[in-house]
Amino acid sequence: MTTDATTDAPASPTAEQAPEAAGTARAHSNLGLGRLYLRRFLRNHPAVGGVVIFVLLVLFGAFGGRFTSYAYTDADFTALTQPPSSRHWFGTNQGGNDIYACAVHGLQRSLMIAVSVSVLTIVLAAIIGSGAAYFGGRVERVTLAAIHFLLIVPSFLILALVSHRLAGDWRVLIIVLTVFGWMSTARVIWSVSTSLRERDYVKAAEFMGVRPLRIIFRHIIPNLGSLLIVNLTLGVVATVLSETALSFLGFGVQTPDVSLGTMLADGASTVTSAPWLFAFPAGLVVLLTVSMTFIGDGLRDALDPTSATGSAGGRR
Amino acid sequence: MCGEGVPRVVRYVTRKAVGWLLMIVVATNATYFLASWFLDPRSNFKELRPVRSESQIDRALAPYNLDPRVPLVHRWWDWLTSVSLHFDWGKSPTGVSVNGEVGYRALVSAELVVVATVLSVVIGVALGVYTAARQYGWADRVSQAVSIVVFNLPTSVAALAVVFVAIWLNQHAGLHFLYVAGENSPGVEGLLPMIGDRLLHLILPTLTLTLMGYVGYHLTQRSLLLDTLHADFVRTAQATGLTRSQAIRRHALRAALIPTAASVAFSVPAVFTGAVITETIFGWNGMGRYFIQTISKNDVHGAVATAAFAAALTAIGAILADIATVFLDPRVRVS
Amino acid sequence: MTLATPLPVPVPPADAEPVLSVRDLRISFPSEAGTVEAVRGVSFDLLPGRTLCIVGESGSGKSATAMGIMGLLPPTADLRGQVLLGGQGLIGLDDRALSKIRGNSIGMVFQDPLSALTPIFSVGRLLSDALRVHQDLTKRAAWEQAVELLDLVGIPDPRGRATAFPHEFSGGMRQRVVIAMAMANRPSVLVADEPTTALDVTVQAQILDVLRLAQQETGAGLVLITHDLGVVAGHADDVAVMYAGRIVEHAGVEELFHRPTMPYTARLLAVVPTVDGGTRRPLVPIGGEPPALVGLPDGCPFAPRCAVALDACRSDEPEPRHLTGHGHVACLRATEIVNGSLDPTGDAAPVGLPAPSGRAEAGEVVLRVEDLVKTFPLTKGALLKRRVGTLHAVNRVSFDLRAGETLGLVGESGSGKTTTLLEILRLRQPEGGRIEISGTDVGTIASSARVRELRQDVQLVMQDPLGALDPRMTVFHLLAEPLRAIGRDRESTRARVRELLTLVGLDDSVSDRFPAALSGGQRQRVGIARALATEPKLLALDEPLSALDVSVQAGVINLLARLKRELGLAYLVVAHDLAVVRYISDRIAVMYLGHIVETGDTEAIFSDPKHPYTRALLSAIPIPDPERERTRERVVLKGEQPNAARMPTGCVFVDRCPLYRLADEELRHRCRTQPPMPTSAAELPGHQYACHGV
Repeated sequence: MTTDATTDAPASPTAEQAPEAAGTARAHSNLGLGRLYLRRFLRNHPAVGGVVIFVLLVLFGAFGGRFTSYAYTDADFTALTQPPSSRHWFGTNQGGNDIYACAVHGLQRSLMIAVSVSVLTIVLAAIIGSGAAYFGGRVERVTLAAIHFLLIVPSFLILALVSHRLAGDWRVLIIVLTVFGWMSTARVIWSVSTSLRERDYVKAAEFMGVRPLRIIFRHIIPNLGSLLIVNLTLGVVATVLSETALSFLGFGVQTPDVSLGTMLADGASTVTSAPWLFAFPAGLVVLLTVSMTFIGDGLRDALDPTSATGSAGGRR
Repeated sequence: MCGEGVPRVVRYVTRKAVGWLLMIVVATNATYFLASWFLDPRSNFKELRPVRSESQIDRALAPYNLDPRVPLVHRWWDWLTSVSLHFDWGKSPTGVSVNGEVGYRALVSAELVVVATVLSVVIGVALGVYTAARQYGWADRVSQAVSIVVFNLPTSVAALAVVFVAIWLNQHAGLHFLYVAGENSPGVEGLLPMIGDRLLHLILPTLTLTLMGYVGYHLTQRSLLLDTLHADFVRTAQATGLTRSQAIRRHALRAALIPTAASVAFSVPAVFTGAVITETIFGWNGMGRYFIQTISKNDVHGAVATAAFAAALTAIGAILADIATVFLDPRVRVS
Repeated sequence: MTLATPLPVPVPPADAEPVLSVRDLRISFPSEAGTVEAVRGVSFDLLPGRTLCIVGESGSGKSATAMGIMGLLPPTADLRGQVLLGGQGLIGLDDRALSKIRGNSIGMVFQDPLSALTPIFSVGRLLSDALRVHQDLTKRAAWEQAVELLDLVGIPDPRGRATAFPHEFSGGMRQRVVIAMAMANRPSVLVADEPTTALDVTVQAQILDVLRLAQQETGAGLVLITHDLGVVAGHADDVAVMYAGRIVEHAGVEELFHRPTMPYTARLLAVVPTVDGGTRRPLVPIGGEPPALVGLPDGCPFAPRCAVALDACRSDEPEPRHLTGHGHVACLRATEIVNGSLDPTGDAAPVGLPAPSGRAEAGEVVLRVEDLVKTFPLTKGALLKRRVGTLHAVNRVSFDLRAGETLGLVGESGSGKTTTLLEILRLRQPEGGRIEISGTDVGTIASSARVRELRQDVQLVMQDPLGALDPRMTVFHLLAEPLRAIGRDRESTRARVRELLTLVGLDDSVSDRFPAALSGGQRQRVGIARALATEPKLLALDEPLSALDVSVQAGVINLLARLKRELGLAYLVVAHDLAVVRYISDRIAVMYLGHIVETGDTEAIFSDPKHPYTRALLSAIPIPDPERERTRERVVLKGEQPNAARMPTGCVFVDRCPLYRLADEELRHRCRTQPPMPTSAAELPGHQYACHGV
């Protein structure tokens, strides 16, 4: 069961052949690969904007609490459901909690969950996906069957069941989201790795007597590089969206802890009477996901010059 | 379709279906144990007044095969036999038939999601094709930016934004047909008014679902077409005397639509599983909301049936996607 | 079977109006590194019925010229100059106006037939669509014409095959379809961009004949773009040699081959290996690499590689000048060269090739293969895989190889030569037969540690150096990897890497570069250095030169020869280019459908080929000399190598054999029913062939 909507088709990386004339590759010979990537990335303005926004969000989550005397658990009974004011910058909710303090804490919580889940997922998916592709045969068949099985088990239901019972400990949420979230990424990595597996340099390594695990970690995973990095950033987006959805339905982070998702859920019922309860967390979530997507797109273009938007020829 | 192709496809589908069925059976049984472990129907009775004793509660649950005193394996066996012999998926802790609920709510969900799916596909694919052919033009840049933002909106935010705008419109423009909650208004009589009323209630949730759904089609169709735009065969078609846009329309587009067709085929069955958050926000009693209710009301049988239903529809979708590919792509079809 | 057909030379009308005139064509693309000036002022005329060959190495701008003429460049390209088709200017026309001309007055044949046809339409549909774009035809009439066209280009059973999809055709057959599409509307100009590069040499001969047929049918002028000087010699009336985006020499084919005047042309001709003639000419490598087309320095772009360059060559780029009795040449010293007072190749002495004939003294046997068999299960259906048969990729192949010796395995793609190589490199018990390396039967090795040890003795150099080198590792790490795999410590690895770089003639400074930053020749040198890291006794080379430009090939050939001499290596070379094989091999084994049909000393095979397949293979290779190329007898094989799934019970070559067709009933029966055994040629015991008819 999907969390919502009817499709889950993300924008797939494309492999448009850029009209790159002979000689361009050689012209970079004295320019380090890293500097070349950086130059391409910096030329992509939305991506740079994404980085700026993301860094600001992280700083806000980390140090935003210093600018207010309220903690997110404090209740100010003299100000219930107050609109933003000089005392409560983002206003207060029905229980008198300072929304600014809640937002700082919720952002921190959501970021923590999103980044850890995304990193864990990509590590798990990379090892399983590329391992299955490299070894092939029975290993591959069993892995794919397991992935299909886990995809057909309604993971959202299990997420809901588990977090319903374990009462919203965010660390448990990280584990659950990882355990049921790695499959589709692993499948993508598997299918890309099957073509990497046939590359000449992998075969060459085999003929040189390089051991299988070393081939996976030295030749296959590094060459998945751009795919992994892009999936890492998009994984942050996906996790934020899942956490938001789960928390919105009451299965994610639970009170008294606060995440952006729970704030959205709390604010939803009063969207007309007290819009600030909803608007601030909604704005933060959207800034977070959009900035991550721009970063991901920029990284893809920078690392993988054959992708659709990566051709310098095509731009301006 | 060549002559011997059809039976081969049938054989292929049968084999696939058996594999999926096995997986569904295993997954469903595993869900049964998980649900029985995590959901405690007794807690539903804890808040009832007058307070009931443990044994009273257990006795009340016994007729529905939910008595915690009976070993789990026995309960499972009873449940399994009733499912496999009578296709009876059991009762909720309050004695409501799961079969009846799922049957009714799946239709409600379909009513909600079908139109949105059709609109999503049409708008998304059309936009994808239009913008891919004009890559880096202003239309492409604008729609790309919009789609990226929409793609990153949590459904709840999008739905509530729609609600907010609708209420504002209702208040300021004096509109009264944008209903923000429910499937229908109470007290409407007669067939045509009832249909009209239901349609009006559909507007906002459909809008929300379309918004959330078109994005995926737009972004994937765009990149699929961009991939094929630069294929050698498009250049060959141009060399025979087609203009660039004719070559794109007749050659690149056909090839680029095949994966989209498969993904549409995959998503068609999913209309019955509904949309959890949209249903919750707009107050539609479809499958999505049922699923939330089964968990919060500790309805083991309902939750398991929902899971099995979703798994079955996923499998059907996967098979439909395969069939679509076989019929559309000669490279898969022959040889 | 068409025996003894000297190429028909079309008689071009002497002074007709040119059908195509190109004046000062300039094409540039924006790129990361700056503007790429792909074409820098190209001018030529094409007369009806004539063939103009544009020849050049990769990156010389020849394909961009073709696309520029067709108006098929990507929109980012900047196109200037004039292209006049029958007097009408094409540059500046919009897409709609150009589309009325493309396919109607000008048809194009592309390089890669595998991707040039829309996969989702039948070839009949593609062809009739191509007709209906420009002609007002009913669907039925167009289909009929399509079938006729398919028949014309030599597709067997054209009516039945018209409903088939492109992926059901072989590469050669697809290229025939592409040619049919190009000639469908009887254009006055045909442009063929490397039409045979992706095809086997025997198929190349057929396709070039079809192209010639198309030209005769339509009376069109043909612009044939190629890198193969043999093809040029056989087919061109006029030749334009391109270097760094310009035509540096433009002359009639006789004049150009007789007296190449631009030093680049002369050096190029000196560096092409040939199959004919008595002795091997030594190859004189040009040295250096073609320049990148970004920010070209002033002066003649060839000057840095030129043996006779003057100081003036480095300051100003010479304009093409007309030389009486020759053509146009862009060289300051053209007059001296054309009157014979200057040798354009300079005094660059041929770099030492090992004694051309006579084997190096035979060392110990490094590799012995006996009755090697390898089969693959053949499955059908993309979704539901069923086993429908067995592919006999390698069938009882035997040979041995001694230290200091080179054995060339040649044959068309699908002949099993690469499979043989990979089976040997696998170092496992083969499916059938025995493989012995340095006296050890690989089937008897039990421990994987021993396999690892044996691996040091056998190493591989792959075809595509860019693909064979991990793009995310520096040259140092690439070379260190095999050393690490055998457990060398850090210090000795570092020393060995330096040693290896010196050995293959690379500078130490490349060791922290990534493969993408190296030129093609440098990459292949890294590939060779990597293979040598563990001091192997046997080097397997899988098409080691086919990814390299002609001007770079010679350097690698000479490197391989030097290494063999210095290190006493044994080479097992797989290649499809017989001319190249001739230069590096002591012995040759010709493979067809998994069988070795003929084996012997290189010179014996080339001077006196016995097996009809070997003869056809040798005859299919064009010779870069117009006189000999146009007068020699050619054996053009009909059809293509069949699939190795249905193996004939008798001789594997029977379906395409020219001798079989001429044979009497008794011999035919033997050919069909008994597999021929290898027999030795009378005079040479090492020269064996398997044929009933010789």
